[in-house]
Amino acid sequence: MLGIVLDLVIIASLIALAIQVVSGASLFRGIIHFIVMGLTLALAWARLGAPDLAMAEAAIGAGVTGALMMVAYRRLVEITPDHNPSRTGSRSRLALPIAVGAGGLVGLLGLGATLSDPEPGLAGLAVLEALQDEALGNPITGVLLLYRGLDTLLEIAVLLTAFLAAVAVTRREDLDYSITTRDPHTPLVGALLAIIVPLTVLVSVHLLKAGSHDPGGAFQAGAVLAACGVLLVLTSRVSASSQSRPLIGLGIVAGLISFSLIGLAAMLRGEPPMALPGMWAVYFIETAMMLSIALTLVLLFAGTESLRRNQHG
Amino acid sequence: MDNAALYVLAAAVLFGVGVYGLIVSAHLMRKLFAINIMGNAIFILMVAVAGPIDGAPDPVPQALVLTGIVIAVSATAFALALMVRLYQETGRATLADDNGPGNDD
Repeated sequence: MLGIVLDLVIIASLIALAIQVVSGASLFRGIIHFIVMGLTLALAWARLGAPDLAMAEAAIGAGVTGALMMVAYRRLVEITPDHNPSRTGSRSRLALPIAVGAGGLVGLLGLGATLSDPEPGLAGLAVLEALQDEALGNPITGVLLLYRGLDTLLEIAVLLTAFLAAVAVTRREDLDYSITTRDPHTPLVGALLAIIVPLTVLVSVHLLKAGSHDPGGAFQAGAVLAACGVLLVLTSRVSASSQSRPLIGLGIVAGLISFSLIGLAAMLRGEPPMALPGMWAVYFIETAMMLSIALTLVLLFAGTESLRRNQHG
Repeated sequence: MDNAALYVLAAAVLFGVGVYGLIVSAHLMRKLFAINIMGNAIFILMVAVAGPIDGAPDPVPQALVLTGIVIAVSATAFALALMVRLYQETGRATLADDNGPGNDD
């Protein structure tokens, strides 16, 4: 009973927040509502028995997307200080019927699938049976790396492509430093970083290691690590640089390269491609992916292709 | 899962709100919000519809949604970069409507 009430509260908040996001008065408020919606969605994932998704949503869906939207908004404000766009554009009379129709279609599809006494998914059944003999206790990591490895590989490729495309359309001379804190030399900033940076690294490594048997994994860990990088950019410990660095380039492609090479090496042994040789490969690939994901997200946030370190006391 | 039907309905409403926002918003960032809301609605639908297996949730749709979340943030990041560049070039963060420039022929 309490569970249903909780579900209803979560769902009501989600819908109210979504309406606020698309119809709110100011763009900035829209971003805030979007982030809160992401966090509420994380609660919904937890209620749906998906703790991995809850973590990913909180870290990536709400955190990273929110940070990216904030920095994009900041760049708009930079160009036009009183950036206050008109609320709505085309007042299409068809908008409401189309929206109701689309929502109704989704609801019909979903209710049809839910109420018709669904069979358990055969693929999921096979995964759960097969994974009982494996050292991987988290079936989601198992699916991502052992059974749908190609999907995960392409996902890393998509992230890399999006990054390259974003760098390509970003105008270099406009790399602004206005997103950083005004006075990076205050002792408080140093003390804050001295506490938060090691903690974040610890949490992300724990999430990575836990990912093989408990909720967690490379994506969640990478997003947490990216948050640490965003903090370093904001406090101007590292800042955008137009000079390309081999180490950063290597870090961006580390996940893709190591996953591809280990996956292709399976063919030399006469196994199907993407078959992983053992648990060491799972840890190796996850670590490389975590670093690549984190670095790519930080670079996307900074809107640059490379970073340099700044010396502060 | 007894709350599956509830979340399916929530996904339907969220998708509708997303579609509405996508149509009526002029600003590209608002359109991005709306697209993300639509994506989230579909993610909820995928996980809610999947029946549990022996009491445990089905890992396959969850893995697919996890992939989807990362793809969504990648696409959003690229779209935001495009929007900023468009604003730098034209001073607008909206798309031309049908009788605007680019459709004069």
